[in-house]
Amino acid sequence: MQPDSQIAVSIHNLNKYYGSYHALRDVDLTVREGERIVICGPSGSGKSTLIRCINQLEEHEQGRIEIFGNEMNAQLPDIDAMRRKTGMVFQSFNLFPHMTVLENCILAPILVNRTDRGEATATAHEYLTKVHIPDQAEKYPSQLSGGQQQRVAIARSLCMKPRIMLFDEPTSALDPEMISEVLDVMVEVASEGMTMLCVTHEMAFARKVADRVIFMDAGEIVEENDPDSFFDNPHSSRARKFLDQVLQH
Amino acid sequence: MADVTLSSRPKTERPGKQTHIGRTIAYARKHPVLSLLSVLVIAGLLWIGYRIFDWAILRGVFYSPDSQLCRVDGAGACWAVIQERWRIIIYGLYPFDQQWRSALACLLIMVTAILSCIPVFWRFSRIAPLWIAGFGGFTILMSGGIFGLEYIPVRQWGGLSLTLFVFSSVTILTMPTSVILVLMRQSKLPWVSRSVQAIIDFVRSLPLLVVLFVAAVVVPFGLPDFMIGEKLFRVIAGFTLYVSCYQAEILRGGILSLPPGQDEAAKALGLGYWHRVSRIILPQAFKVSLPSTINQIVIIFLETPLIVIIGFFEVLASGNAAFGTAEWGIAAKEVYIFIGVIFFIFSLSLSRYGAYLEARLSKGDRR
Repeated sequence: MQPDSQIAVSIHNLNKYYGSYHALRDVDLTVREGERIVICGPSGSGKSTLIRCINQLEEHEQGRIEIFGNEMNAQLPDIDAMRRKTGMVFQSFNLFPHMTVLENCILAPILVNRTDRGEATATAHEYLTKVHIPDQAEKYPSQLSGGQQQRVAIARSLCMKPRIMLFDEPTSALDPEMISEVLDVMVEVASEGMTMLCVTHEMAFARKVADRVIFMDAGEIVEENDPDSFFDNPHSSRARKFLDQVLQH
Repeated sequence: MADVTLSSRPKTERPGKQTHIGRTIAYARKHPVLSLLSVLVIAGLLWIGYRIFDWAILRGVFYSPDSQLCRVDGAGACWAVIQERWRIIIYGLYPFDQQWRSALACLLIMVTAILSCIPVFWRFSRIAPLWIAGFGGFTILMSGGIFGLEYIPVRQWGGLSLTLFVFSSVTILTMPTSVILVLMRQSKLPWVSRSVQAIIDFVRSLPLLVVLFVAAVVVPFGLPDFMIGEKLFRVIAGFTLYVSCYQAEILRGGILSLPPGQDEAAKALGLGYWHRVSRIILPQAFKVSLPSTINQIVIIFLETPLIVIIGFFEVLASGNAAFGTAEWGIAAKEVYIFIGVIFFIFSLSLSRYGAYLEARLSKGDRR
């Protein structure tokens, strides 16, 4: 990443509540264009909530979120259009089961970006090739393995040409032998300079790809560092405890 | 399945035939009481079947213009009544010399319905003109007043074509209204969703008869003259409101059964509300609720005869008229059986079509 590159995501003083439960506490985070961030932490620490706030699948109560300088807020009338700038990959894939792989990939480009069908199809094939499933375009999601479905989900997001990719535990629902095929694709996406925020427990992936690791616990960012320093020399006791548990095996 | 018993048998025997009889005998040995009961029940059914066959076919009277043959001792079913009176069953009070129009209208609405069951027409740009043409043609044929057709007021419409008209109007109108109701019910604005929920709960707590009665008799007192309209159309509107409330709840069940991730994924791709609803949510919700929807449509058809209460001469009422004369008074059973067969054919085709749709829609979707 270049230190002088544009600010992609800026989060200032973010607070989020579920009823009386304080899910995010005064979160501040700045991500520059091209940066790869891995967010980790124990379950319930607010990592998923944080990245779901960035594209406003969750609404926040306090604070300000900006993407390339534009405020993200579910109350804004053009929020649906604003979400185009971010792509999101979910733990449970969330492909549309009533559409083929190709239809999944061209739906949003045609409806939202008003790309013509031929061009959208060509782009879709290009990205499906990139995620190593070039010849499954006419199949339905249910005919694919979990790893293949997740790679289609990545391709589907990329077809919208987002400037930021959000990954919400993309490998947590996968069988162990399928994890690496998805991580490989994510590494390739990263190597092309995409701005990425990944919530993941794959520490090897974090070491290999991340520019920064963010450790969250109890709704706050506890520690923020480059991966080598974070893994080898965590400052807080909470991070040490977490790493002990994750890296035990 | 029968591998264990088969292994003890000589290999030359054909297993397929042997197993069936062999299994029956084995079952009879194991459960003698149940087997005896089965034999008795089957014998009873055969006996009843023969009695019906004897009454309906062997001793049935198929032709007797003055019903005299039906009154002979030992005469069976008097099918002659259908032969003589089918016109009043099918056409009701519609003027005799104009009944070809009613027949044509009936045919038109059925062709429209059948065409719209074919996947080629499942596009708004095709289905909408089809139905506008179908209903327009029906109204022109039935009502007349233009193209040199004699004008026939709605109160003279009757019989099967009226039943089909009410049924298909209610079915067609229910689909969009129930979608509107369920979308308002699911609205994020509490005052919209609460008030629609109140309406749905209220209508669902009423018997259909009350809704039809209010639409036909009470509503005219509350409306300015120019809005009152034809009684038939008010009844169709009331019927539609009633069914829509049920259908909206069926669709809501379908929507709630979808994983929330579907809507979230569509949002994350930047799709707006209407695109999410029309491309992601409703197609899947409709598929999930298809069996209940078909069931609901069959119920609409079977409840259509209720409109007779507020003075419409639909097929069941015109059936009553068919045997309501001195000479045919003996043939009520046969007329009801005839009408029953008509209803059976329609209901059966609807449920078979539903099964076809389910098979078609589940293609490629084994979540």
